[in-house]
Amino acid sequence: MKRILLMLIVLVVALGFVSAQAEVEYPARDITNILVWGAGGGTDTANRLVMAEMAKELGVNVNVNNVTGGVGGSVGMYEAFAKPADGYTLCGLSESVVTAAVQGGFGNRMNVWDFFIIGGSPDLVSVTPNAPYNTIAELVEAAKKNPKSIRAGSSAAGSIHHLNLLAFEKGSGAQFNFIPYDSSAASQNAAMTGEVTLVITSVQEQAELLKAGKLRPLGMLIPEDFDFMGKKIPSAFKAYPGLSEYLPLEQQIGFAIRKDAPEAVKTKLQQAFKVAMTADPIKKFGAERYFTLKGLVGKEANDIFDKLESVFSWTLWDLGAAKVNPQTLGIPR
Amino acid sequence: MNLVQQFGIFFSNIFSIISSPSLLLILFGSTLMGIIFGALPGLTATLGVALLTTLTYSMSTQAALVALMGIYVGAVYGGSYGSIMLNIPGTASAAATALEGYPMALRGEAGKALGLTTTASALGTIVGMTFVVIFTPLIAALAMQFTSFEFFLLAFFGILISGSISCPDTVQKGWITGFLGLFIAMVGRDQLQVYPRFTLGMMQLESGIEVVPVLIGAFGIPQIIQVLKDRQVTAEPAKIEKIIPSFGTIGRNVKHIVRSALIGVGIGAVPGIGEDIAAWVSYGTAKKSSKFPEKYGTGFEEGIVASEVANNSCIGGAMIPLLSMGIPGSPPAAMLLGALMLHGVAPGPMLEIEQPGFTIGISAILLLASMAMWIVGMLLAKQVVKLLKVPPALFMPVVAVLCLIGSYALGLKVFNLYLMIPMGILTYYLTNMGYPIPPLVIGVILGSMADANLRRGLMVSQGSLAPFFTRPVALILLLIIVFTFVSNTGIYKRLLAKILRKA
Repeated sequence: MKRILLMLIVLVVALGFVSAQAEVEYPARDITNILVWGAGGGTDTANRLVMAEMAKELGVNVNVNNVTGGVGGSVGMYEAFAKPADGYTLCGLSESVVTAAVQGGFGNRMNVWDFFIIGGSPDLVSVTPNAPYNTIAELVEAAKKNPKSIRAGSSAAGSIHHLNLLAFEKGSGAQFNFIPYDSSAASQNAAMTGEVTLVITSVQEQAELLKAGKLRPLGMLIPEDFDFMGKKIPSAFKAYPGLSEYLPLEQQIGFAIRKDAPEAVKTKLQQAFKVAMTADPIKKFGAERYFTLKGLVGKEANDIFDKLESVFSWTLWDLGAAKVNPQTLGIPR
Repeated sequence: MNLVQQFGIFFSNIFSIISSPSLLLILFGSTLMGIIFGALPGLTATLGVALLTTLTYSMSTQAALVALMGIYVGAVYGGSYGSIMLNIPGTASAAATALEGYPMALRGEAGKALGLTTTASALGTIVGMTFVVIFTPLIAALAMQFTSFEFFLLAFFGILISGSISCPDTVQKGWITGFLGLFIAMVGRDQLQVYPRFTLGMMQLESGIEVVPVLIGAFGIPQIIQVLKDRQVTAEPAKIEKIIPSFGTIGRNVKHIVRSALIGVGIGAVPGIGEDIAAWVSYGTAKKSSKFPEKYGTGFEEGIVASEVANNSCIGGAMIPLLSMGIPGSPPAAMLLGALMLHGVAPGPMLEIEQPGFTIGISAILLLASMAMWIVGMLLAKQVVKLLKVPPALFMPVVAVLCLIGSYALGLKVFNLYLMIPMGILTYYLTNMGYPIPPLVIGVILGSMADANLRRGLMVSQGSLAPFFTRPVALILLLIIVFTFVSNTGIYKRLLAKILRKA
């Protein structure tokens, strides 16, 4: 009994200490970024670089801690969400976490977070060099004449690249014979062996093959043209404006904070983030990885994740790969 | 890349490793650890690489590769210690070495035997390395002919051949465990249509059965039970005098070294079969082709050279399909594949485009590992042999703990333990009934590859089986598979006997 009493007293004192701390101007101590993917990956590298820059701005350290596992990064996301909404815990993530809820790993929708988007490498449509299509229009017209005759490769069903392929089909009216591979790299291999004619993966993933002339870029699946090593890759939206209804669905690397965190804290973080995004190491990283650096925060960033959540969740549900009906989570179609 | 550039990359790799004290420490440390793993009966190269894989997770890719290649090379070599000193091979790959090494040790020539083994192993590794450099690009170019159909056939062939070769009993037993492995690989959501198969509604099985806990369970647990059950009494190790690098002997055995190295590389390159089979085949061939077959089994240096060169050159051989096609050539190479994936390196035909110089880098590490192995071997043979005096009852529990940590550390999942332990118990009983375990593990590793590629191939051909016969590489593979299958049936053997009698 005495011991319990003692523990209670300690707890109360500790709580009082914490609440006293909260009145000091944010940030008063180090911040932790719980990152849902492994060390060394794209999300990890980008987050670590941005966190280092933000630390300079905020005057405290930001420690990145990789907590992996679950479905769609659910273990790390769950852990970050269980921490108090005081701005001392961030959650490093990427677009794929939006699938955690429908896969039964996360009980909330994505609207419990406020997102900070660093950027990502956009997807593009490329064909093998010996394919008879020189523009996106030639490819789509050929596919329309003979539906499902052209083999298209991308990573597994339900992945970001597969969703891009589906959206490209819907927006252009073409139909392809979709062949799923274990990874983007495997689908690009298959293009090299001639098993598939077209691949949809990100610029970063295709970069070496594009440089070597082993893939011919036809069109970007974003509204803007892309400058690849001085050469312009046109946007597919020009030839098929209908694409804007379904696209873009881009890789979005960034981090999030609980939405119920104090506004003052969010503002402070957003300012530091904006400054960090202009730093040289970030720009260099972006150029090396063929990233479009975004630096989006607030409503703009949240809208992007809302859309991703809807498209990913419903596509997975339609494929039979989701455990939880998006409808029960209240995710609009 | 031209030759000069390749040499440049090779030497810059070597220089970057030897100029970094921490990498050198990792190199020698892991090689020594490998030798100890190899020398202790019950611990295998596969288990060594498996347990180290999870530890290298936080290292840089280069440091991880140095550590893993070091332990691989060291463990394959270290197996000979037990063979020579105790007549208990430390690893299966050193079993043939025991036939010659132990009689030599009994004659008081243990030092000579160890010296010969050390040099032969180092030479074997270096020859294997040369083949990695020469053949990986060639096979990678050939791999451009490999589409889903060919990959299916190759994976299937790997399971079949590892079943046919690694079984001491009848081949059918090998095939049975191979197909059991294939079945285990089917558990989880399938890769193409994300449909759950055999998951019994369990969330943890959704992502499939992980290879690492299966490997650790299948190779570790039965060993632990067996060694503890047998109450293996450690024999008094034979005395060692000086360990002289017998250069004169090496000169006399050049012919055997070359032949054994070629056998080792060739067998290593075949998916799924590894060092133990390389050593036996090489030993057998040496005996058959020798001028003095009667001397074999009495402590003959030719036999040691044949076995030890082959099992170490097999390492290089096993790396060739791993790097060029992403298909592991031996069980430890299968673990290496897992480790490479952890570090974001995807072996395959695109490897040289995505990571130019990677193959050269691996061969540089192999060369350094063989040198480290030679140095450690020469310096420490006497000390390492003392380890053999440690009773198994003391180190086996340590191994058991390592097995548990190793399985858990990967993804920090307790579920892996529930997977690893029953797998270990299952394989223990299978081993007792004479079913070989390597085909089971190869089945688990190559199973999903066979499954996904067959169905992907059918998606590509829109349901037609014709590509099996119209694609040249596929047809050749198909014929090899049919031949492997038919040649192991009774009808074929009777038919062959009949034809031979007529002729």
